[in-house]
Amino acid sequence: MMFALAMRSVRQRPGRFAATLLSAFLGATIVMTFNSMQDTAGARGVDAVSKDTLSSAAGVVGSYGTLLVFFAVASTLTVNVRQRSSEIELLRCSGATPSQIRRMVVGESVVVALVGALLAVVPSLLAGRMLLDLFKDSGQVADSVDHAFGPIALYSGFATTVVAAAGAAFLAVRRATVRRTRPRGKGRRFLVVAALVLGAVSVCSTFALSGTDEMLMAPPAYGSILLSVGFGLLAPGLLKALVGRLPLTGPSGYLAVRILRVQAARLSGVLVPLTLFTGMATATLYMQAVENDAIDAAGVPKSVDAKNLETLNLVIVGIIVVFSCIMLINSLYASTTYRRKEFGQQRLAGATPGQILHMIGLESLLLTVTGVAFGAVAALAGAVPFTMVRTDGVLPDQGLGIWLTIVAVAAAATFGTSLLTARRALKDSAVQAVSLAA
Amino acid sequence: MFRRTDRRTEGHGAGPAGMALRLVKVSKTYGSDDSAVRALDEVTFSLASGTFTAVMGPSGSGKSTLLQCAAGLDRPDSGIVTVDGAQMTGGTEAELTKFRRNRIGFIFQQYNLLDTLTVAQNTILPLKLARRRVNRERVRDTLTAVGLGNRLGHRPDQLSGGQRQRVAIARALVTEPSVIFADEPTGALDTRSARDVLLLLQEAVRVHGRTVVMVTHDPVAASYADSVLFLADGRLAGQMHQPTVDAVAERLVHLGDDVMARA
Repeated sequence: MMFALAMRSVRQRPGRFAATLLSAFLGATIVMTFNSMQDTAGARGVDAVSKDTLSSAAGVVGSYGTLLVFFAVASTLTVNVRQRSSEIELLRCSGATPSQIRRMVVGESVVVALVGALLAVVPSLLAGRMLLDLFKDSGQVADSVDHAFGPIALYSGFATTVVAAAGAAFLAVRRATVRRTRPRGKGRRFLVVAALVLGAVSVCSTFALSGTDEMLMAPPAYGSILLSVGFGLLAPGLLKALVGRLPLTGPSGYLAVRILRVQAARLSGVLVPLTLFTGMATATLYMQAVENDAIDAAGVPKSVDAKNLETLNLVIVGIIVVFSCIMLINSLYASTTYRRKEFGQQRLAGATPGQILHMIGLESLLLTVTGVAFGAVAALAGAVPFTMVRTDGVLPDQGLGIWLTIVAVAAAATFGTSLLTARRALKDSAVQAVSLAA
Repeated sequence: MFRRTDRRTEGHGAGPAGMALRLVKVSKTYGSDDSAVRALDEVTFSLASGTFTAVMGPSGSGKSTLLQCAAGLDRPDSGIVTVDGAQMTGGTEAELTKFRRNRIGFIFQQYNLLDTLTVAQNTILPLKLARRRVNRERVRDTLTAVGLGNRLGHRPDQLSGGQRQRVAIARALVTEPSVIFADEPTGALDTRSARDVLLLLQEAVRVHGRTVVMVTHDPVAASYADSVLFLADGRLAGQMHQPTVDAVAERLVHLGDDVMARA
């Protein structure tokens, strides 16, 4: 019964699932593309060197991918469930038990994830071939090796996406259906501590490696990801504490400060992807730049190995950038749309549309500053140990150019999405806006 | 406590003296062509300042449209709306908002308080948005007068429906508007809370000299007003002074009959 309702829900309102579908699709594509290297390596007649290259590429990006798919799907689903709180409340009032509602939402998510993974099969097949050609061109893999797209790619792609979707949906809906009897935050605190501790350990383990180690970039990069997530979860609390001291005056500032102080939950949905985006992009791009300079300094031409590492790094940065941007835009879009009623109430209390846009602009500014600041700290935490081990210096000497570009992208995504969505939300009259069911 | 300041009376020379609200041939049509509904059909009336008027009529008679057009929340297709001698012009939303800020207060059935703000913050919000000076003491007095002096730091979701509506009344009073529009203010309340709210509205008129226009479908609520305007099919269908519950109820029944007979 609940599954039928889930199917109906997906069919009737496909737009609502677009963000989840996109994350599932992209996630499955990445996981399948890289895991097809595992299939390729497993075929008969592949030499040991090729096998090694292929498996390590699959291993590194595959695990990154799994982590990101989980975060992206979880973030889009959390937003989706929060948006539908009134529908869920209605179902509960019509006699649905929490477990029935859970089955419905989990069912929906699994269906969406399956569709996303299914759509990803052909693109992954093509992307896998391109990736293999890349390896062949650089001489890392023998020309005789044929691309294989087999059980490992399919299985890992479907399993990762579906398990991530089901798990994320379960957590999101449990949060929505269980009446809050104790203050939330125990699980979150654990997550923050775990992310920060593991991140710190990962960053510190950089020092255990030698400057020429091939894997030197992995521990600080992982560390930066984990620290970014931890900081992103921690940031709303700090912003909340600091925001009252900021010299924000005027009607829009007054509203922005008061609203930011109360809505911590909404903020973490935006701050996690924002810090992750800034932290990861900054860390990887600076470490790659340091690596390039170190090779140049050594006076030897770049080896194919080094070139390959660079390609792989850029691929990873690209994946992370795309994912965090989707999460960021989705969170901002959903949370701003969700505030249509609040905007209507503010207008009825005498706010002009300009004042509301001004308020959104101030909120975006505070979010961007917080996000890029924490992202920079997470990035430095990874890039500094790397630079110290790889070269004699402490700080990468590339200057602020790369970081400023990343900040510009983050600011553009945050401001653009918030302001455009808010402007759309202001199109209805204030009376219509407040009478809409949220 | 809610004495009028002179600030707003300057330069509003036009219009008859003592009229808080004046509508002249106000019309509003929704939809277009064959599906068009004429919600207001050349409605003309004026309300003296310091009066409490209820607007009643069957569902679909145009009550809500009347309130929205008169309060500057919607633009009439034609006709003139004058609040406290100043004519409302159909400009941008920002212009309409600025027009409303100092002249009009609102009370809604669903309260429309901001959940993120406390009782005190909700009350002063209109002043903050209009960049007007906030007299904290008077805000506290106003909230005490509506019985919420000890709830200043609470958020709306910690209050009962009746308490929330009383916050909304305090919010409508602090800006010292010429006219307070109340849209079914007791529609979501129990009898006792409804009575408190209606008495507060009465007090706003009697004690503080405000003008209150209240849309309602409840004859009991209407009986608290000085007079009742009846609306049917977007037109005025009569007026009743010193209304009683029974008289209003009887008139409404006949109004319904008339509409049915014409349909």
